[in-house]
Order: sequence, then C-alpha cells, then structure tokens
Amino acid sequence: MANGNQGRRIQPKRGSLDVPFLLLTLVLVTLGVIMMYSASYARAYKDYANAQYYFVRQLAFALGGVVVMMVASYYPYDRLRKWSLPLYVACAGLLLVVLAIGRSSHGAQRWIAVGPITIQPSEIAKFTIVLLFANMASRYREKMQEAKYGLWPFLALLGLIALLTLAERHLSATIILCLIGAVMMFLGGAKIKWFVYFGAAAVVLAVGYLLLFGYASDRITAWLDPWKDVSDKGYQIVQSLYAIGSGGLFGLGFGRGRQKYLYLPEEHNDYVFSIICEELGFVGAALILLLFILLIWRGYWIAMHAKDRFGALLAAGITTLLAIQVFFNIGVVSNFLPSTGISLPFFSYGGTALLMQLGEMGIVLSVSRDCDNNLL
Amino acid sequence: MRDEKNRGEKPQQENTIVQKANRLVLTRTMLVMLVCGFLAFIPLFCQLFSIMIVHHDEFERKAISNQTRSTSLSADRGIIYDYNMNILASSSSVENVFIDPNDIATKKQDLALIASGLSRILGVKEEFVYQQAADTTKRYKMIKRKIGPELAQQVRAFINENKIEGIYLEGDTLRYYPYSTLAAQIIGFVNMDNQGTEGLESYYDETLTGTAGKVITTKGNYGSEMLNTYEKYYDATDGNSIVLTIDSTVQYYLEKSIENAIEKYDVLGGGFGIVMDVNTGAIKGMATLGSYDPNRYQEIYDTDKAEALEKMYLEAISAGEGTEAYNRGLAAYNKAMAAARLWQWRNRAASDGYEPGSTFKLITLASAINEGAVTLNDSFYCGGAADFTGREQVLHCWKHAGHGMQSTKEALGNSCNIAFANIGLKLGGETFYDYVDAFGLMEKTGVDLPGEAVGYFYSRNYMNPKADGGVSNIISASFGQSFKVTPLQMVRAVSAIVNGGYLLEPYIVSEVLDANGETIMKNDRTVLRQVISEETSATMRDLMEYVVTGGTASRAKTAGYRIGGKTGTSEKLDEFDEYGNPVDDLMVSFIGVAPINDPKYVVLVVLDTPNPATGLYISGGIMAAPTVRDIFADVLPYLGVEPDYSDEDISAINVVVPNVMGRTASEAENMLRERSLTCRVVGEGEKVTGQVPSSGAEVPGNSEIVLYCGDAAPQEKATVPDFMRMTVREAKDTAASRGLYLQSKGTDRNPGYLQVTYQSIEPGTEVAAGTTVTVEFTDNSATD
Repeated sequence: MANGNQGRRIQPKRGSLDVPFLLLTLVLVTLGVIMMYSASYARAYKDYANAQYYFVRQLAFALGGVVVMMVASYYPYDRLRKWSLPLYVACAGLLLVVLAIGRSSHGAQRWIAVGPITIQPSEIAKFTIVLLFANMASRYREKMQEAKYGLWPFLALLGLIALLTLAERHLSATIILCLIGAVMMFLGGAKIKWFVYFGAAAVVLAVGYLLLFGYASDRITAWLDPWKDVSDKGYQIVQSLYAIGSGGLFGLGFGRGRQKYLYLPEEHNDYVFSIICEELGFVGAALILLLFILLIWRGYWIAMHAKDRFGALLAAGITTLLAIQVFFNIGVVSNFLPSTGISLPFFSYGGTALLMQLGEMGIVLSVSRDCDNNLL
Repeated sequence: MRDEKNRGEKPQQENTIVQKANRLVLTRTMLVMLVCGFLAFIPLFCQLFSIMIVHHDEFERKAISNQTRSTSLSADRGIIYDYNMNILASSSSVENVFIDPNDIATKKQDLALIASGLSRILGVKEEFVYQQAADTTKRYKMIKRKIGPELAQQVRAFINENKIEGIYLEGDTLRYYPYSTLAAQIIGFVNMDNQGTEGLESYYDETLTGTAGKVITTKGNYGSEMLNTYEKYYDATDGNSIVLTIDSTVQYYLEKSIENAIEKYDVLGGGFGIVMDVNTGAIKGMATLGSYDPNRYQEIYDTDKAEALEKMYLEAISAGEGTEAYNRGLAAYNKAMAAARLWQWRNRAASDGYEPGSTFKLITLASAINEGAVTLNDSFYCGGAADFTGREQVLHCWKHAGHGMQSTKEALGNSCNIAFANIGLKLGGETFYDYVDAFGLMEKTGVDLPGEAVGYFYSRNYMNPKADGGVSNIISASFGQSFKVTPLQMVRAVSAIVNGGYLLEPYIVSEVLDANGETIMKNDRTVLRQVISEETSATMRDLMEYVVTGGTASRAKTAGYRIGGKTGTSEKLDEFDEYGNPVDDLMVSFIGVAPINDPKYVVLVVLDTPNPATGLYISGGIMAAPTVRDIFADVLPYLGVEPDYSDEDISAINVVVPNVMGRTASEAENMLRERSLTCRVVGEGEKVTGQVPSSGAEVPGNSEIVLYCGDAAPQEKATVPDFMRMTVREAKDTAASRGLYLQSKGTDRNPGYLQVTYQSIEPGTEVAAGTTVTVEFTDNSATD
C-alpha cells in the first residue's frame, strides 16, 4: 500500500458511472417496490391492520438504498480493501452472537436485532467473502495457482464462515457462501483441479447433511412430489405453484392476484415472485427475468472493463452473488429447486437486505466509474 | 506487487504475465457470465413456461378450488297440498348440533363444561357427549339433530358465553305433517336425511326435492376478505309442490267412519277404504287403519302394540347384558319392532291384495250381461246347495235354506252363490278370464303411489271348463273366492261398471306446482279402454241400486241419496294359525256408488277380521255397508252432491224428531241416529235437559239436533234471515248458524246455479229455535 498515497495523488478525476447498470437497477427496485404493495397488503392488513405497512417500509428503505448506492458509487472501491479483513472478523463475530443469543426464526437462529432493525449476518457474510476474496485474489494474482496462496487461505476463511452458518442451520446461506467463494476463487485464477476435488467432496458432504437433518430431507420429498402432502410439507410450494400457474400468459392483472390472501406464506418475502407470476403472467415474469439478465450482463461487462483486477473481481463477485440469489429464489418458488429460504434481490421484503443490495450495486457503479475500455 | 494501473509503465516481460493473468480473469469472468447470465436462466424459463403456459389450466383450476368456498344452498323441499290447498306436508328450518372432537382436543376446550352444557340444553346424556368426543381424530360428531330455533339460540349463547371452540351448528330441515295420522300411508315421510322414504314423499321424491344450489365465493385463507372477489351462483331450484286429489275432509270422514267401524265391530286386523271419483279416477280419499304419525314414524302408533313391544324390550334387557337370553330377546324385539313399523306404514289400499268375495259378483255379472250370456229375464234356482258336473264338492249357498227362484236382479240382490256359479259357467271360463283381465284386475292400475301390488288370479287355462278343476275354478271365481285383487283395482273395475264401461287410470296427484306456484303438470282423467257397453253399465247401475233398496245392502241406504253397491264377505286366504291350519278369519267389504243414477263417487270399505265375540253376524252387509253409508252421508253433501229434491224424496226423508229429554247424551245420540239425525251436545251434564227442535217437529233427515245437557239452556228464539238469492250452501250454513232447519224444494242437479227464490217464513220473523223453514231453489242459469 506504499503507493496508496501516491496513487491517490495522481489519481485522475473519476469517470461517470455506468448508466445502463444504474437504470436497470433503478427499474428493478421500482418494480420491486410496486409489487411489494400488491403482494403484501393482505398480510399487512392481517398483521398490522394497515395494508401499506410493508409497502411504506420497503419504499423508505428503497429510497434510502438508492442514496446509499449513489454514495457508494462515489466511494473509491479501492479503499474497501482495508475493510475486508475487519469486516470478515466482525462478520464471524456476529455469526457467533447470532448463534448464542440470536432471535429464533423458523427453528433456526439467523437474525440479530439492533434496535428496531434486524440484521442477518449471513447476508453480510456473502458480501464479505466477495470483498475479501477479491482483495486476496487480486493481491496473490499469479500465485493463485499455488495451493498455499490460492487454496488453503481461501478454504480456511470460507470454511469458518460456512461452518458457522451451518451451525445456525441456515443451509441456503451455507450453500450460497460456498458457491460465491468458489466462484471468487475461480475468477481469481485458482486451479481447476481443486474445484474437481472439492466439488466431489461437497457433493458427499451435501448428501451426508441431507441424511443427517430430517427437515432438509422433508424438503427434498416435498420438492420431488409436493402434491403428496399438500396440507403440510408440500403446502408452501403447492400454494406457490397455484399462484404461478394461475398467471398464464398475461396474468390476472396487477393487484388482482388471489394467492396473496394468506394462502401463500412469505408472499411478500421469499415468494414474492410467485405473486408477480400470478399477476403479471408469463410475459411479465419473463420481462423481470430479462431485466435481471441484462443487469447481470452489464455487471460482468463492468467487471471485464474494470481498471484493475480488484475492481474486476469485486464487480464480477457482486454480480455473481446477485445472479445466484435470483437463480435460487426463482428456482425454489417454481419448484425447480428444493425449498430454501433465499430472497429475491430488490423484490423481497427486508430493509437491511435492500440497503445492502443497493450498496453492492453502488460498489459496482463505483467500479464502473473507473472503467477502462482499453482492457478488451 | 503493483497495481494494474501502472502496467503501461512496466517492462514487457512483467507486462506479459500481468496480461496473461488478466486474460485468465477475463476468460473466467466470461465463463461465469455465460453460466450465471445465460445458462442458469434456461431451466428457470422452461420451468416457468411449463407451469404458466403448459399446465396453466390445471393449476388455475386447482388454485380456484383452493381459493373458493363452495357454500351449498339448500333447495326447499316442495309442499304437499290436499285438493283444497291445505298443507299436508311442509318443511321448516331447523339446526343440527355437532361437535368437533379434534378442535376440542387441540384447542384444549373444557370437555366437562361442554358435556354439562349440551346435556342441560339439549337433554342428551353427558356420557353420550363424552362418547362422541372420544375419538379426537374426528371432526364431525352429531350431538342432536333437528332442533328448533329456541334451542339453537340457547346453544349459541352457551358457545359465546364460554367462548367454546368445538361446538357447531348447521342448518337442516324438518318435515312437518300438520294433520298427523291423516292419510299417513299416502303421504309417507322423509328420513333423517330428508329423503322421501314412504308414500308420496318417496314416489315424488325427485319432484319434491329440487336441486341444491351453491355459491362459490373467493375467500382469503383464514377467512380473510379479498378485494377482488368474485362470486358464482348456481341457483338452488326449490322442489316442486304437489297438489293431491285427496281432500283432507273426505279423508277425515273416511278414516273416522272406518275407525268407528273398527271399534264398533271389534275389527282385529284393521280396515282400509277408498273414495274415488268414478268418472275421472281421482282418488279423493284412501285410508288404512291403524295408522301412524309421520312426524314420529319410528314410534308405534297403536298403543297396545307399542306396550307389547316395550314389554318385550324390558324382558329382553332384564336378562342382563351379554347373556344368551339378552341377545335373543333383543333380536326378537328388533325384528318385531321392524315388522310393526312396516305394518303401520303400509298402504293396504294399494299395496296389498285382499279377497273381494261377493263384491266381485259385479264383475261376473257385468261381464255376463255384456257378453249376452245372461239377460235380466233369466232366472236362477237356489235350493241352498247344488251339484255341478266337474266339481266334486256340493256347493252351498251362504243362505242354507236357499233363495228359491230368482231373477238375475234378485240373484245379485241376494248375493246368491249358486246363481252366480251358473252365471259364471254360462259366461265361460276363458271369456270370464278375459273380462277380469279387461277390468284391469291383473295389472297395476298405474296409480302414482309406490309399491302398488297386483293381486293374483287363475291362469287362463285353469279357467277352461275342460281343464282339471276348471269348473270348480270358474265357480269359485264367479263369487269372488280363492284369489286376490287390490282394493284400488276393485274400485277402478267397479267405476268402469257404473261409468259407462270406461277403465280409468287412477291418480292421486292432481297437479305439480313449481316454486312460484305455477302449474307444471296436471293429471286428468285417463281412459285406458272401454270394458263394457254403456247399456250394460246402465243395467248394472239399476241392479246395484236394487242391492241396496231390496238386497243384502239395505244398511247402505243413505238418506237423500240413491246408492248402489255390493256387499262382500270372504274367507281370508293364505292365513294360517300356528298349527298350519287355515284360519277362518273373514274380510267383510262393501263397495258403493253414489248417486247411482248419475254416478260420481265410489267408496270401498274393507274390514279385516271382525271379532266373532261381538255376537254380530259377520258380513259385509251388516258391517261394511253401514260404514259406507256413514261415509256417503258425510262426504256427498261436502263434495257438493246435493240430495235429489223431488217432492217424493223430501217427504221420504223428512223425519220426526223423537223425545230424548231425560236420556243420557249417548242414548239420545243413538236414538237420533236411528232416525238419520245427528246431534250436537251443549253443556256438561249427564242428562239431556233440553232439545231443539222439540219432539214431534219434522226436520229433514240428517239434520243436527241440538241437545242441552245439565245447566245449559236452549236458545229460545231465532230470527228468520233473508235466504233469497242464497245458494244451497249459503242457505244451509245461514240456517244452521241461526239454529233453524232448512227444508229445500226444487230439483236440479247443478247446485252451483241454484238460488233461493222462495222462503216459507218472512225474513225478520221471530220463531222458536229449531223451526224448519222451507225454501225453494230455482236454477237461474237459464234465465240469467
């Protein structure tokens, strides 16, 4: 970091941010807030006798999130490097705290309450891994091919966090952490054969885990045949399929969905996409997926045009994280994947998550400000 | 280590490594982009396409059935009306109380409280509630069915006060039969599930039931309201109502008279009868006694039988549960109970055959006359016994002294078996058979009642005189022995004999009305075939009148009416005592037609086994004929059949009021009845202390004499009203209300057009109560 000061001194005025990425993000956030209104009012009315309860909160966080995004886009991402390790330590600490005193939710402890807001440390962990691994890989560079640089440190750091989330029985977080960790190592230049070995090991571990934990096995059976136990194990997925299937080509129309009337659990949360399908139809759902795809492409485009490896890895990691979450969420609600609690970025209810996601988008935008077209 | 931003200033070699590393990152980023930005989305699109487009219909259907609540709209069961639109059967809303044992268990409800509360309100045993609540996997256990709104309200209050979850009420309907036992076997009843089970309730079940409708409403889960609700109504179609040809007043008179006869003659096996319109086949009354109350169809209505069954039950359970005797006794009791129920529900007038006996001679004679085998000029000798070639036993007439030489008319009047044996043989067995068949006695009448029987008769070849026993069969058949017909078949055949020869299809429902009261079906006279000629029919009417005026049925004479008919007494078939010997129980019957000169109604009464212990001679003429007379006397004026007011008739039916002062009320009633007078008793005393009119007064036959008993004082004076322009009915009612008697003059058989044109005492005159006022009726239809 000896050049840090010098670098800053000679650093030219930063370029403008990537407009397509910004616009796609804003469109998605806007759609998310609008859909939140439709999806949540029945539940909000039941829970708080105020149909706008969830919508207003989501709107407030979205507005705050956009501010955070813009601020982040001006923040030189380079300076995030020094935050990566402290963040990792804090994150591991928080996970421990959650394990110890965390609030119980759905039979597993995942949340930590700070005043009126709740923080999900595993959510922070995902970003932390992206940041930390981008930092490490961009520093190790060609040494990434050596196991003592490119494999073991990564594996140790990732393993600790993954084990902590596993201890929380927060399976989806564990899976995503492992995936994003692996992708970061892959992007950073780690050896392919390591992925083969550890991929095989992961499969064995996964099978063992499934056999060990009954609730997960139930999810598998419900996934394979949700109709077998419509009233209990398969309830959620069946209700989701009802909603999606009802949509047809053009949907029932915005606000005219029926499954949100307390049939579909988590309708404004993990299963918000089902309501989108129901109300906007295949056309609407495909359009939203397309917006996500465009955003993801633009994210990778920014990564590929980043002025340095750290920026490239950071943008690619954040984009991949987004893609993974979209894939898992929609895979789950459409019963392509077994049920796990993964929210849909920009659409699912959750203030801190939205703030974080938009913050991450801000970081990508920050990378985009320094994009160098000469790289290609 | 240097940052890439400085790469342009670095030496070439290092630059190559950097570029190689950068290219690696670049290609790997592109690879990840391919996976995360393209490949991963392919299965998602496929999956969504499959769910939303390919399987859209299936999921939507399932979703809608998941989101909607289908509420069943019950269709009201139609009403059963009598001919005058009196309600014989209707439904009212009631409620069922049931518990949800699962709720009680999972929501931790206080079962003791529930049991004691339900027991207190509904009168069920607490143990019963515990029993019903025992299986906690069940969601629906009945506590009490069909309770009224008041009890339901109490149950609701109990639920609300104690915030109980697990007691629920549901709507149901209760069928109510306001006339109780009246026409019970005809109307039938519905079972607990509101399905018609017996009688017209069963025969017209589909018509009466209607179609249950439903409302499909969108409902959020947990009953939350949806903003965009939609509702689909499938209207319930209420059941249609049926209007019977049965007139409850006629039915009442029919039942009352049969009941009186059963009591008077100690009839052991009950009795049954039919009143039918001879020209249309409309059944005005049809009764089987003993009856039952369709409101409590499970209970045995006959108190003696009910007591015997109760005793049987108590004896059975006294043996102690689990013992052999207990089981055997209980099984026997259950069997007896079931038999008793089936017996009291049975409409014997249509569902059972009986032995017509001598009433069947009408069929024999009508056939023979129609065929020309016998004329009115023929004569028959009866010496009390006769031998017939082809029949082994000597045939005895019921009158052992014999009837001597008789004309055809006298033979019928005497109900002479020997004469009828000859008539039957003259007619010829196979022709006879064909007539019996033509008279519809071997087929169902087609009446709209369930469980109609056919009876049985000889096969045609058994009626061949050359066949083994053929002569014997013809002889037996000619006077109605050794086979069975149903009362309804008999009534229909006799109708054909008197109505010009037309065999009708009897019916009991005149109209079917939809829920708005619009007629959607109307039953009418249906002629199946003409069996005998108009001439034969006219001849038969004369002969039948003679049976009453000069023959065995003199007790059927009804003041003011010309009656024709035929008596019958017959040994019961197929009845055996405990040793397997045939019992000599008798069926006595009379079939009468009035007015015989212009037939309107036929009445059949059959009494099953009058008790010989009464000392009365058991015969249709002695027992059934006066029963039919009573029915005619009640029913004919009610049905608007006015007495034929020729001057002769009036003098013939005017009767002198006897002195009944000082007699007991029942003595007086008997004395009056002997003179064809009826009475109304006023006051509580034992002895008659006054009568209106006083003895010696001449009043029309069938008039009501008012008897005053004890302290009740006769009304002394009456004011003569203005009868002018009144109809027959109005005049009669007005006279009765003033305590006056009306003597009518004038002849016309169209009472609807008759009006009073003369009254013997000026209106406003004060006269003694019970004075007879003579009025003259004139047919105004011609002049108006």
